[in-house]
Amino acid sequence: MAFLFRRLAFYLAAFLAAATVNFFLPRLMPGNPVEIMFSSTGSDLSVENLEALKLTFGFVDGPLWQQYLTYLHSVFTGDLGRSIKYFPLPVTELLGRALVWTVGLMGTATLISFTLGTVLGIMAAWRRGSTFDVVFSVGAIVATSMPAMVLSLVALFIFGFELNWFPTGYAADPALDPAVSWQYVSSVLRHGILPVLTLSIVLTGGFLVTMRNNMINLLGEDYIVMARAKGLSDSRVMFWYAARNALLPTVSSLAIAIGTVLGGSLVTEVVFNYPGLGNTLYQAILARDYPVIQGQLLIMTLAMLTANFIVDVSYVLLDPRLRRA
Amino acid sequence: MRAVLRSFAHNKKASIGLVIVFVIVALAIAAPWLTEYDPTRRVGRPHQPPNWDHWLGTTRIGQDVFARLLYGARTSLAVGFGAGILITAVGTVLGIVAGYRGGRTDEVISFFTNMVLVVPNLPLLLVLAAFIGQASPWVIALILGATSWAWGARVTRAETLSVKQKDYVKSAEMLGEPSWRIMSFEIFPNVVSIVGINFVGSVIFAVITEATLEFLGLGDPKTVSWGMMLFNAQNASALQVGAWWDILSPCFALIALGAGLSLLNFAVDEIANPRLRTGSTLSRWSLLMQRGEGRL
Repeated sequence: MAFLFRRLAFYLAAFLAAATVNFFLPRLMPGNPVEIMFSSTGSDLSVENLEALKLTFGFVDGPLWQQYLTYLHSVFTGDLGRSIKYFPLPVTELLGRALVWTVGLMGTATLISFTLGTVLGIMAAWRRGSTFDVVFSVGAIVATSMPAMVLSLVALFIFGFELNWFPTGYAADPALDPAVSWQYVSSVLRHGILPVLTLSIVLTGGFLVTMRNNMINLLGEDYIVMARAKGLSDSRVMFWYAARNALLPTVSSLAIAIGTVLGGSLVTEVVFNYPGLGNTLYQAILARDYPVIQGQLLIMTLAMLTANFIVDVSYVLLDPRLRRA
Repeated sequence: MRAVLRSFAHNKKASIGLVIVFVIVALAIAAPWLTEYDPTRRVGRPHQPPNWDHWLGTTRIGQDVFARLLYGARTSLAVGFGAGILITAVGTVLGIVAGYRGGRTDEVISFFTNMVLVVPNLPLLLVLAAFIGQASPWVIALILGATSWAWGARVTRAETLSVKQKDYVKSAEMLGEPSWRIMSFEIFPNVVSIVGINFVGSVIFAVITEATLEFLGLGDPKTVSWGMMLFNAQNASALQVGAWWDILSPCFALIALGAGLSLLNFAVDEIANPRLRTGSTLSRWSLLMQRGEGRL
């Protein structure tokens, strides 16, 4: 329990750091920070609305620490300001809508790639040096070094435009109204296949290599030799003796991978015009909608910290040594 | 050193990776001799498919894709290696200092390292780049260096902790060598394999991230680079209008560079950790295992 509380305190500090970056960046840039943040080209921002926005982002008359506290107050009360581009829409609402799609996309892709990568990694390590191992581990390495957008663009070109198997944009047929009907759900699934697939390919490689290397290091251990000496079957030694222990470091690498997942999904969404956080961010960047860009960093940090915490909890469940301590 | 070079030459992945990277570097250097076109000028009719005059076709505003690809390689390589060196240098110094000094220093450095690791990197970079405005490749390399050292610092620290316990470090301490000397001449040479892995990994990361930031519209439009090529092609709806050469050329260039670098990385990893090797040394052993002769 103490372990989890320590982690929680640490995550709070990390979140504070992200908020601090948000606070200082506009103030460090040359020029007037208010003008930089709220340059309202083509938007109808009235004087009182601007005043409200300035207050949210801590642009108040007073010393810097007072401005900082004002900003932190709005962040921790869940007020991330309003979008400049879609003016009266609060940033939290804009991002909240998009978050659902991103979480769905990321969750599915992570689940698929973690399972696939781990199983393939176990098999590659078991038959290290074989053609299977060489093909999969080299393929995995190459796949991880490909930018997500490259893979997405190639997939979109082949399966979306040339073969016409899958839709080339949006999360569902725009003509349909969201409803819990077979028609709508199947449309969502059809639109999701290509983004999930490309994202999974990008991610599988990392899990595969981590698992393979952990496994190989473990296969030299005495207890594995002992298990084989006892005449246990290959699959029993592979899964119940080696893989079980090799999985632990893989779970912790999952925490680091979440950052990659986030980054990958950002880009994949832009390519597939998928209405998640990534696409919202892309639109915000093109319009220089700073409140949205800043809110994005906070939401994503929060998502990443939550995911990290879940990994921490599962780590405690998996490793009895941590439970006792 | 010679042993390392020899194992590099014997490692098939390393050789293939090196060849790919060298070819790309050579093409980038030889760009002016390989193409007559200026990458920024309009030299043909818009969106022409590949032909004898324009080997990889033209962009929507009539620039030569092949020329842009060659000159763009310069940017990608320069940012990749520049940022890679920066990331590795910061990570190595912080990792060794934290691991060797221990105590307060270690606590402070480790705290910051872990913090940077849990703040999602790409969104952070996006926010930084968005405020900077149209970031030139050098600015991108700088902010990459400033934000992406954490992983390297963490693994270097872990390695330093184990090297620190070795007898030769203890005896150097006993002899009263100053700590900067111990860190740079006793510890650094012994964590150099980790530094190598970190470096190649950082170069891959920098190449990918630079292209990603530019693809997302944060680059300087005057830059000739693979990321800007993708951004321009995407903005010109190249796929929708069927101008696949415009968008797939930089895609394959990025794939080739990424594959070459990652094969190198894999090889460095194997040389540093012989257990991971898949090459000829183990194939005889695994053959014996399969036949059942070497069954334990």
